[in-house]
Amino acid sequence: MSMFTRRMRRLTAVVMESESDSVVKALLEKGVMEFVHIGALPADKMSKLSEHSAAVPKAALTDMRVRVETLMKEGGIALPELDGKAVEELSPLDMDGFRRTLDRLSLSLQSVRDDQRRINQEINSIEEIMRYAEESKDEYLDLRVGITTHGSSDDLLERLGKIGGVFIFSSKPFVSLTLRRDSARVTDAMDKFGWTESTDSDAQKSALSMAMSEAKAITEGYRADLDRLSAAAKEKILAMSGELSDIWKNVRIHELCEHVESFFSYTRNTTLFSGWVPEEESADVESIISHVTSGRCIIEWTEADEIPREEVPVEMTSPKILRPFERMVSNYSTPEYGSINPTPFTAVAYLCMFALMFADLGQGFILLLVGLIGKWLYGKNPTKKDGIISRYLCSLLIFLGPASMVGGLLFGSCFGFSLIPALWFNFDAVVEGEPVQGLIQDIYDILGITIKFGIVVIYLGLILNWINLVRKRRFVELVFDKNGIVGGILYGLGIWFAWGYVASGYKEFPSAPFFAPLLLVCLALILAKVPVEAAIERRKGKKEGIGHVLMSTVMDFLVEVLEIFSGLLSNTLSFMRVAGLGIAHASLMSAFYQIADMTGSTIPRILIMILGNVLVIVLEGLSAGIQSLRLNYYEFFTKYFTGHGMAFEPVGLRSRASAD
Amino acid sequence: MSRVSDYAFVNAKLRARIGLMHDSTLFDEMIKAPSLTEAIAKLDGTWHGDLLDVYRKTGDLQQVELQMLEDEIGLYREVEGYLPSSPASFLSVLLEKIEVDNVKNAIRLWYSDVIRRHMISYRSAYIYKRTIVHAIDYDKVINAVSYPELLGAFKGTPYEDVLSSFSMESLASDGLFPLEIAIDHMWFRHLKEGIEKLSGADRKAAESIYYVDVDLKNILRLTRYSYSYHLDPSHLRKVIIPMGYIAEEAEKTGALSSDDPMSVLSGIVRRHYPQISEEIAHIRRTADDLTTVDENNREIVLIEAYLGERRKRAYSKMLLGDPFTIGVVLAYFFLCLQEDGTIRAILSGKYYERSEESIREVLGL
Repeated sequence: MSMFTRRMRRLTAVVMESESDSVVKALLEKGVMEFVHIGALPADKMSKLSEHSAAVPKAALTDMRVRVETLMKEGGIALPELDGKAVEELSPLDMDGFRRTLDRLSLSLQSVRDDQRRINQEINSIEEIMRYAEESKDEYLDLRVGITTHGSSDDLLERLGKIGGVFIFSSKPFVSLTLRRDSARVTDAMDKFGWTESTDSDAQKSALSMAMSEAKAITEGYRADLDRLSAAAKEKILAMSGELSDIWKNVRIHELCEHVESFFSYTRNTTLFSGWVPEEESADVESIISHVTSGRCIIEWTEADEIPREEVPVEMTSPKILRPFERMVSNYSTPEYGSINPTPFTAVAYLCMFALMFADLGQGFILLLVGLIGKWLYGKNPTKKDGIISRYLCSLLIFLGPASMVGGLLFGSCFGFSLIPALWFNFDAVVEGEPVQGLIQDIYDILGITIKFGIVVIYLGLILNWINLVRKRRFVELVFDKNGIVGGILYGLGIWFAWGYVASGYKEFPSAPFFAPLLLVCLALILAKVPVEAAIERRKGKKEGIGHVLMSTVMDFLVEVLEIFSGLLSNTLSFMRVAGLGIAHASLMSAFYQIADMTGSTIPRILIMILGNVLVIVLEGLSAGIQSLRLNYYEFFTKYFTGHGMAFEPVGLRSRASAD
Repeated sequence: MSRVSDYAFVNAKLRARIGLMHDSTLFDEMIKAPSLTEAIAKLDGTWHGDLLDVYRKTGDLQQVELQMLEDEIGLYREVEGYLPSSPASFLSVLLEKIEVDNVKNAIRLWYSDVIRRHMISYRSAYIYKRTIVHAIDYDKVINAVSYPELLGAFKGTPYEDVLSSFSMESLASDGLFPLEIAIDHMWFRHLKEGIEKLSGADRKAAESIYYVDVDLKNILRLTRYSYSYHLDPSHLRKVIIPMGYIAEEAEKTGALSSDDPMSVLSGIVRRHYPQISEEIAHIRRTADDLTTVDENNREIVLIEAYLGERRKRAYSKMLLGDPFTIGVVLAYFFLCLQEDGTIRAILSGKYYERSEESIREVLGL
């Protein structure tokens, strides 16, 4: 892991056109290069280059890939992994062949769905009759019991079947249960076969229940058919899983090649390409290209320092274990190239904040347990969709749980009870106003701790910013900016001043011989910022009018001073929320504890404490998580994280399908 | 309760949901899918995933559409629960529009069976039979063998009055069109009353949407029916929705009782909507090679496109404007129904094996 973003180098290579395909495949397999268009050549040379022309447009390849993916998803088939073997065995692209295969599958699926539709319509038809019978809406039904005097009963059954209903023609007298609205049609059909109503009263009485049993049996049969067809649709796809996987691999690799080649430029016999590679991979990439082209290539490297910082892609190299926090950083923005990687600092700050707000050994253990179980369940079922407790949350809980447990040990809290001796001080006792010995005796002392913690975090942010500015050689900003040294000194003076005032019991302001001169020097430096910048610009040839400089100096001074005093003050006080959340957590648990005590018996007491713990874990856990994130984003990141970077997105066989 | 407390929660909730709505990529992929099965499979993992489940189980697009209708009703009911009484009852008027369409579908089935003597068999299963706003006995509607029986199904609902001015004979001779228009008018009357019951900013927001919407619908009807159906002034009066600026102006000026109602009405349209009048006039000036029907069709397409665009603009404006009015709720339903409409049109296009181009044309993409 590096403290800073990964060092990058830009490769520009010329290879023989006949070997460019092999180079592309080798680079895809390596997967460490982000391709860029060649644009740095002089215009007369650029005009001699031709652009890549695709045999099959990339959009067509993407459409085909998406189509295969849809069918694979429908069949529950996971996307295959792409590896070097898949590249080696890559067969020529046969879009028409693929289309025919997919059309065939699609057609057979559609025919299954059509069968399902027909069965569903039959079910709907019979279920309407059943519902009327069940709801005693006999007025909508037409029940007939009788026999035919001529013609074949099978023929009659066929005719009645077209109308729809339940018919029992296996024994005499026959039973017909249809809808009254179809009576005329039924009568018409029956008349042709000399239907005569039965006079058997027993048969008449039992006819409806017989018809209902028959209807139930029919619908059950149909439902089984529907399920069978539903499974058959999936089986049809599964039966072609090998073929679909092969098509997907082929199309995906061609799509990636096409994507890479879209950055290529060509002369009559050669291919030119360029891209960013992490410094430690550059030797490998060079040897791969040389090996594939048997040395018939020209490779040039450009160091990132020679290119404007904002054009260099950025990759953070945090250890795998810190991935959840890296995502937190990426959600905010991408750091500038060459600046400090915020991930480890974010991890430490976030966990400290969470531990202070949600300090409980038992509840922390529950969080850890939820995280571990979730991770295990998702690991067992990789295709499972993320639920409310997502994969990301699970991996975060694995950190938050132990952090909360450490907090619990420090403050002696376990499931809201003071079950264990506090290593630092008893938080719950302080919140409840019980007499406590030691440095922390009341809520104000707790607020004081969090303010001190805030000062440490803000100073850390400022120091990280100074390191970034030194690395970027922005010395004017380093000295004069509100987040630079002058801002840091003013912040220190402010802290010293406030501390002295509080220490005197809010009676008098502190005084020291260094205070006023230092304050004036700092203010003078802030005032000098715009003129100094203007002077530097003037040396570079950019002249600004004196009036404009004067106006900017005054405005900038006022804004900067206001921002330093009010901004840093509010940033510091903002950390009181850490104490607030911690106090709320302890108070809520205490409230549940008191409610539980009021019941006077064991079982309700246990139930209330369980309910209380669940509520606190969910609600307070969520609040503490959100507030920690907020403090990181607004109070910490704003000090040193410019977020002007552009994420490094190398193209490889394992690149996300949507990334390009 | 202040407007802020009335709308703060629903505003935040609906805006979050609007943020999660499908982007055009999903619709594009659905349109490109070569079959219905593949098109509907794209809904996997989206908030319309329940439709895919229904399709996988039944293979029946009409069953999917019924599920969609159920989801829409559920959506209205859910949001209704978040609102205070006055805007909630307005939402119930909007929900009544879904009921109106459902009632029309049920009556069409009855008409098909009893008047046209066509078998409706399983088709009644696709009618939503639970109560939407009013207690209607849909089983009775579908199974009625006489007109009084049909009327009985709507007893105690506002539909009873509308239906009682028709008879089996009048429907048999004139078709369902007059009845459907009368039911529509009933709903527009309810809409107007609902808007009037809203207070302050809510009323303003609802008026800005529905008054102009109704005007454009009236222009559309005038264009469509005056050419295609050659309606006389008395029929024209029945067709025009009794709401909005154009209807009010027509009433005031006695346009419909004049010798040339169409020219008076055109004047009213020109005054209120000069842009659309100009575009229609442009079509008429430049369409020498077109037949009257072609010309009329082009005008209808133009007005519909204008109506769609205007609606989009009006709802976008609402989303950007005061968050504590019913505007955000109306915009949310507009976007939801638009999304549902798009999905419905694509799936239907796929079912009838229409080309990508024709589906895009229908959707105005």
